Amino acid sequence: MVLSQVIADSHSSDTSTILRVRGPLEFKCHLDSTDARLMHKVISRTFEMLQSQVKSESCVLSVCDSPVIVWPNRGVYATPEEITPNTLCEDIHQWIQSDKQEAAGKRSAKKKSKKSSAASVINLRLMMEATKTGPLSAPILSRTVQKSHFLSTTLPVDCIVHTTVNETIKDAFERLLEALTHQLCEMEKVTLQHMKGTTLLVPEPLHFLLPEPKGLVTVVYPAGVPDSQLETQRKELHQQLELPDDWPYVRRANAYHFPNEPYKDGYLRNPHLVLTHPTLDNGKVYLVQGIYSYHHYMQDHMDDNGWGCAYRSLQTICSWFQQQGYVERAVPTHKEIQQALADVGDKPGSFVGSRQWIGSIEVQAVLNQLLGVTSKIMFVSQGSELASKGRELTNHFLTEGTPIMIGGGVLAHTILGVAWSETSGQIRYLILDPHYTGAEDSQVIADKGWCGWKGADFWDQTAYYNLCLPQRPKII
Amino acid sequence: MGRSYIVEEAVEGYLTKQCEQAGPVTGLLIGQSSTQREFVVTATRTPQRKESAAAAGNSLDKDWVTEHARQVSRMLPGGLSVLGVFIVADTDAKDTVTTLRQLVFAVENLISSERLWNPADDDVTDSVVLHVNPKTRKIFCRTFDVKDSKSVAKPADWKYQSGVCSSWITVSCCLSMDLLVPLPDNRTDTEDMDTCLKEGLKVWAHQLEGGVCLIDGKKLADDSELAGGQKRNVRQTYTAQLLITPEERRSTDVVQRCGGSVSVRGAIHSRAYLHSNKPKAKLAEKLLKRDMISTVATRAQILLEELLTSQEDKHQREQFCLPHRVFCPVKGSGPVCVCDYHFSDEGLSEVTDRLKEMLDIDVAKNDLDTRQETPAEVLERDAAAEPTVETIEVLEPKRNNYIGKTLFQCNAYKHPYNISTTANNHMDLLPPRYNIVSSC
Repeated sequence: MVLSQVIADSHSSDTSTILRVRGPLEFKCHLDSTDARLMHKVISRTFEMLQSQVKSESCVLSVCDSPVIVWPNRGVYATPEEITPNTLCEDIHQWIQSDKQEAAGKRSAKKKSKKSSAASVINLRLMMEATKTGPLSAPILSRTVQKSHFLSTTLPVDCIVHTTVNETIKDAFERLLEALTHQLCEMEKVTLQHMKGTTLLVPEPLHFLLPEPKGLVTVVYPAGVPDSQLETQRKELHQQLELPDDWPYVRRANAYHFPNEPYKDGYLRNPHLVLTHPTLDNGKVYLVQGIYSYHHYMQDHMDDNGWGCAYRSLQTICSWFQQQGYVERAVPTHKEIQQALADVGDKPGSFVGSRQWIGSIEVQAVLNQLLGVTSKIMFVSQGSELASKGRELTNHFLTEGTPIMIGGGVLAHTILGVAWSETSGQIRYLILDPHYTGAEDSQVIADKGWCGWKGADFWDQTAYYNLCLPQRPKII
Repeated sequence: MGRSYIVEEAVEGYLTKQCEQAGPVTGLLIGQSSTQREFVVTATRTPQRKESAAAAGNSLDKDWVTEHARQVSRMLPGGLSVLGVFIVADTDAKDTVTTLRQLVFAVENLISSERLWNPADDDVTDSVVLHVNPKTRKIFCRTFDVKDSKSVAKPADWKYQSGVCSSWITVSCCLSMDLLVPLPDNRTDTEDMDTCLKEGLKVWAHQLEGGVCLIDGKKLADDSELAGGQKRNVRQTYTAQLLITPEERRSTDVVQRCGGSVSVRGAIHSRAYLHSNKPKAKLAEKLLKRDMISTVATRAQILLEELLTSQEDKHQREQFCLPHRVFCPVKGSGPVCVCDYHFSDEGLSEVTDRLKEMLDIDVAKNDLDTRQETPAEVLERDAAAEPTVETIEVLEPKRNNYIGKTLFQCNAYKHPYNISTTANNHMDLLPPRYNIVSSC
């Protein structure tokens, strides 16, 4: 695995534009020998050929959802003709048609798109121009008959550059070309490094968002090799990048999710991010760290209205461990949760398929059984006592950063954070409510308080509560 | 409402000439379909069979006519196709309709079975049958929907007009290709190469179909009209560019056993003609892409047909030149040309002979356009090096400038009109071509 770093400059936190180019490159060659050295030669030669393709005049970068096409190796010539090498990168946004625009009756794509506060991404597609100016030599058919091996795959090229404010496309695209050739180089290294006999692993680039000032960094991993076998590589990376050695940053699941890319599974991520956090006198806000998905009633065609709330909270917690890369296991279904409890002897076999409730003890048991995660249990004999648990809760969010499942009375909820003033004792709880039965609409969920800040009066003051505080493994 | 056929005046003269023949004459009608009407550009009679076997006399030789259509189809650039059949016979039109119907269905089946491109939903699927009575010169014109096996004859208009193609638009480009396909582990005969190559060409064709087409350097909206066509002075040629990406293929078996490989590398000139009645960019793209796919498939087919019938030694590594494309103008049809494929060691008279036989076109060698493509030249190279597209240079076409003395073996046996009936559907109407074989 090799590393390439995107040069994160001081403007990266501004509304600068990221250029991202993706495109499969066909990788095909005839391995006429099984001698490792000769195979390496053929593979290296094929990579050389791809390098020259990318540097040739036939290399084309087309801006997705727009008529803009750039030939970076022809003096950054572009079409439509209004675009010149001196056009600013940020002006390309005007040419991009957003999803919301109608396709009918639109001739020119020149419409101003909304600028969001996050860094905007211009997606580009890597293409090859198959036409040339002729006349050229007519084709030759070559046939080789020899028992041998044939290598055929596509390389998932994926490169980014951060553009600076007022950078022209000429400069930005030149840097993009450099990033492309650099990535091909790394892909070659990874491919050769992981070749065993005639088994070849496809090199796969992933981007990771590291804490400032490092920004976005691209790492090429061999596809199909699980995280568990790449620990040495990650240790090296953590050292090189000066990252803490107990929080994962470059596991596959940590790959950066680009804005405006919908998640394929359809769940909302971190719905709490759109909320305004309370300001308390001398108070601070302590939140869940990382990414989780919102699981609630009626999802996955599962009607668990009235009994599934603790299951959903557990699912939210499992999603956190999956998305931080601690586990590869998918979020368990209600049945899988029940089966796990039957497997550990906590519940009889008849429990599986039933609509029986679970509590924080069961949540702890399942996290242990299915994910290998240990949890602490916190008990309060009455809800009013929760107001005094500020210190414990803030400590949890500081050191573990995981979502908390709380069950008591007849309800279960997830606590995503706490706002607490040490001096005044004021406290607020950021609650994610699994009782929501609607669609994945982050607006509705925020407006109606399905994810929202609640006061101490949210709890049933006389009921007793159990909290399950999952402990995160201290690994990378 | 039936279809309308707008026919070049020259075709009227040609059909009249056929009326003067003794005995019935069949032939093909060639032109372009559009949603509103069809344009007939030229017509060509079925060539004579040398052997007067049982098929002589009044009965129509369906296989012969179909084979003629298949061969003619290969000689038509993008935008032109076999629209239907005609018969000049002193019979009652209604008696021949059934036979003609069988004929157009057979023609369509044969031609479409060889196609590597996918038909589009908006393609016109009507074929025309035309019956001309030589004594009365009366025209009987009907169409059949060849995609519907139950279709019945529908009436159609047949109108002559001068200068039908005079303002037609030409879209062209020079397309380079670099195809590499594996041969299966245990079967490496020429038939296997044929199958594998066809599979590889299908994948390549799919890539082209998904490619972005620029016309005169711009990506035009599908519905935008290509200008020119109405006025004489407006420019009528456009250059296209094609941008492609491979399909993402990530199967777990990246490396597979094989018995060898086949590659096709080089460039072809591709061209399509568009009628001048407000043609849309989408049509230009569709017709040009089809021509790209067809011209490569045809050349590979021609080469493989040669290899299948010849008895060459199989060497470990062989190179064959695909023939290059030569264009021939159709008299009185504006810019429209037909084409043929030419091996560089054949004389051009082979081409003019074929054009005469297949398309009944009289043309002098000097009137052929041979400038669009240069013949391939095989350079000697060492076994380890893989040529890239860039290194197959355009050499001056000095015919005898072969590098390496014994590099080429020319099997030059020439039988005039050798008709082998070894395979029913592979009747060679033409002299077999030269094999250019190099072995290293």
